[in-house]
Amino acid sequence: MNIGTGNPDQKNTSLPILGQPTSRRTALKVAGAALGLAAFGKAISPLMAIPENVSVDEFLQQHYKELSDDDKTAIFARLEKETREDYGADVKISDSRPIPGVKFGYAISLSKCNGNGKCMEACNQENNHHRGVDQSYIRVLEMSKGSLDMDQGNTTYDHTVPQDDKYYMPVQCQQCDNPPCVTVCPVEATWKEDDGIVVVDYNWCIGCRYCEAACPYHARRFNWEQPEIPAEEMNPDQGYLSNRVRPQGTMEKCHFCLHRTREGRLPACLEACPTGARVFGDLNDPDSDINWVLKNKRVFILKEDLGTRPNFFYFFD
Amino acid sequence: MSTTTGKLLEQPPHYVRNYPRFIWWALGESTNGNWLFYLWMFVLTCVALVGANAWAVQVADGMIVTNMTDHVSWGLYIANFTFMVGVAAGGVMMVIPAYLYHDKKMHDVVIVGELLAISAIVMCLLFVVADLGRPERFWHMIPGIGRFNWPMSMLTWDVIVLNGYLLLNLHVCGYLMYMRFLGQQPNPRWYVPFVMISIFWAISIHTVTAFLYCGLGGRPFWNTALLAPRFLVSAFVAGPAFILILLAILKRLPGQTIDAGPSRLLINIIRVTILTNLLMIVSEVFTEFYSGGAHTASTMYLFLGLHGFDALVPWIWTAIAFNVIAAAIFLSPRIFRSTPLLIVACLLAFVGSWIEKGMGLIVPGFIPSTLHEIVEYLPSLTEWKVSAGIWALGLMVLTVLLKMARTVFNDAVAETPVP
Amino acid sequence: MSNSATARSTLLLVVTATAMVAAWLIIRPVLADRNESNATDVTLTSTSTTTGNTTANPKYQVTVRKPTTGPRISTGLQDVNGNVATVACGTCHSNRAPNIKTKTVADLKHFHRSLQLSHGSISCLSCHNSSDYDALKLADGTRVEFTEVMTLCAQCHGPQMRDYEHGTHGGMSGYWDLSRGPQAKNNCVDCHNPHAPQFPKMKPTFKPQDRFLKKATTHPASLRTNGL
Repeated sequence: MNIGTGNPDQKNTSLPILGQPTSRRTALKVAGAALGLAAFGKAISPLMAIPENVSVDEFLQQHYKELSDDDKTAIFARLEKETREDYGADVKISDSRPIPGVKFGYAISLSKCNGNGKCMEACNQENNHHRGVDQSYIRVLEMSKGSLDMDQGNTTYDHTVPQDDKYYMPVQCQQCDNPPCVTVCPVEATWKEDDGIVVVDYNWCIGCRYCEAACPYHARRFNWEQPEIPAEEMNPDQGYLSNRVRPQGTMEKCHFCLHRTREGRLPACLEACPTGARVFGDLNDPDSDINWVLKNKRVFILKEDLGTRPNFFYFFD
Repeated sequence: MSTTTGKLLEQPPHYVRNYPRFIWWALGESTNGNWLFYLWMFVLTCVALVGANAWAVQVADGMIVTNMTDHVSWGLYIANFTFMVGVAAGGVMMVIPAYLYHDKKMHDVVIVGELLAISAIVMCLLFVVADLGRPERFWHMIPGIGRFNWPMSMLTWDVIVLNGYLLLNLHVCGYLMYMRFLGQQPNPRWYVPFVMISIFWAISIHTVTAFLYCGLGGRPFWNTALLAPRFLVSAFVAGPAFILILLAILKRLPGQTIDAGPSRLLINIIRVTILTNLLMIVSEVFTEFYSGGAHTASTMYLFLGLHGFDALVPWIWTAIAFNVIAAAIFLSPRIFRSTPLLIVACLLAFVGSWIEKGMGLIVPGFIPSTLHEIVEYLPSLTEWKVSAGIWALGLMVLTVLLKMARTVFNDAVAETPVP
Repeated sequence: MSNSATARSTLLLVVTATAMVAAWLIIRPVLADRNESNATDVTLTSTSTTTGNTTANPKYQVTVRKPTTGPRISTGLQDVNGNVATVACGTCHSNRAPNIKTKTVADLKHFHRSLQLSHGSISCLSCHNSSDYDALKLADGTRVEFTEVMTLCAQCHGPQMRDYEHGTHGGMSGYWDLSRGPQAKNNCVDCHNPHAPQFPKMKPTFKPQDRFLKKATTHPASLRTNGL
């Protein structure tokens, strides 16, 4: 189809195509090709939205691990500006790094959790989730007593909780030591940091969703569209690798609120839990609450047989 | 036309300088044809344009225009991708008898299989790009300037083997056609090793594609060692079936002499692979249902429906019915005598394995989800449009490639009005 | 012929070698990962050698929220501003003799009859101090202020108190790392009504709507297990 569209070789008489007896046919072909090209240009014209939404700086931005401090300053400033333009909210993007020697662990008491879902709500607000679908990194399963089979579970219950014959199991990213999502990523857009948190560089992810297929805990979420967040609900305390507004077409996941926890604060879902079912802390500190749970409670991890080695624990009192 | 070709041959120019020119010339020749050819290409162009437009909208508005969800995060695109990898690998079934067993009759049509492989790989790459949320960040995968997570990510292996297979086949086809064009005997040193590699490579593209899925421990439906062999076997049904249809079409074109030998061989290949494929499906189904347990949920959903959800049940039983009927026809001796019967059998086998490997394999891997939630999936109109567009583009590529080959292989071709 | 045979054997060699190199490349990171994980396991179990950074020198305190005063009872009257007039327990009880026979709400004739009492088999005076109703008492009779209610609860609820002390019972907020900031914890009666301490039933108010889950709703597994 692309014959005769401005090729430099056209004038060369040794080219048999020009030696054809019927120049009418060639002219028709050229016309057809031109028409085809024009139609193609029209067909893909919605792509013109890309240069509007993706600046050259963003397009050429390097992987997080290769950014210098100056790069980061410039990028964070650009992202803050974009958030102001697109959402009308003034935010501050920071880059909290792992605390040396700290490895985070999280535990939930299934005896206490009553499935009220405040953790999901807190996650939604803290992490600037898409309000249109009330997105959250947490799902709470209502499980049948006497079974750990998730096939007996249900996330969409909306009755008074807790029900007598049920128990409730929140599931979020397990921050595995052997994370399948990190292994499968073709571009290293997701990786495990020194404190055990698996993060995503939202500006490097190509959106192939292989990690979402690989994760056994339904911990990953894809931005099917640009998230909607009202300016007054925007959490201005943002981390580059955590709760900043994520771009359309990229993957995101629970990051243990690293913009809080790496500053020593508790995660938002823990503070929001009305039943006190959640325990968070440093696995490397022998006196931490989380280590007390591991030593003194009957602890289990989800899908242990898969060898993912989670840093997220469940226990019964 | 033959005079100009002769002129070129009288003054053999420098190899490198003129190989691109040869390609250019052959491309030009391939645009000649009768009204049927132009109609065919026009229709394909229209479908491809509709697909391009749908894809552009998807990139601009986000993947929200597809029916994929966080639960079923891969759909029609990856299903088609998986199937087309199989077709590409299946093309090599022409090569094995021709070169490993020195079947001279096959040499003439072996190029058909390789051209099919090229078009199929082009489609595979397009389907992967269509599935990306941020296609403009494609460069992140390029080694050197991006970050290529090789060898850990199976997707990077797939990128390597698919592009490698594309290059291998481009080289072999291009070289053979160019030598034929120059009227020279091809030097085995320049193509036989590549043909041999491409045989192993064909196996590898589909094995790696199977590893993409069966390496995921969190998806019991895919996490089976039988997946790669099953992929290969069904590829060796779909690939030869498509080639048989192609040969039947080519045979009807004037000025074409195609020996019956290759067709016989391909039918015999399908006779084995289609039964093996059915056997493998049966053993998968047996293993799942006889032992039971939570592992069985996806298989249950696919074949019988689960907790009242059964969107895929009609699909898989259609596929099974098609495969069984095709197998029965292929086993009948009448398949060698009746071309219409052969075409019907090939179409049934082709569509059957498309459903089985696409909607019947990719989608149920996500249902129920890893938290055992059931969210069903049927492709959106956008997904159908984009997929149809890529199919149309693939058929255009195949048509052009076949016409290029015909131009080169039939010297007299320019005198006869051919489609 | 021998030419192509050589080509074939060379090819076989190349393919095998490539496969071996590839296999090694895959296995190597896995092995490295395994060694690494063993190392972390060791640091986990060998306690004192590692940092111990946070709790060793806590700069900040864990503060337990306390009830500010004792409970107040509504008189059913309103003051000049229209506010409900409340009184401390001692207002009435300082001039009334305690009735030690009163065990449950049903035994009450005039006041407190709307109280929900569902706390095991204990009676009013198990916790309320009959000699001073503006305070509580332990089982041995020791007076305890309302603000120190946790001491009272802990007499019976030892395991809960132990868990509480290790951050595994009761909500908290603030900092996990006390070298960086303070932590605030609830006390027992923040979450538990002392007269009916079972945690109240709640209604979930927030449900993430996964893209097509609206239509799909739940699957009826829960119905099935209920025998429907």
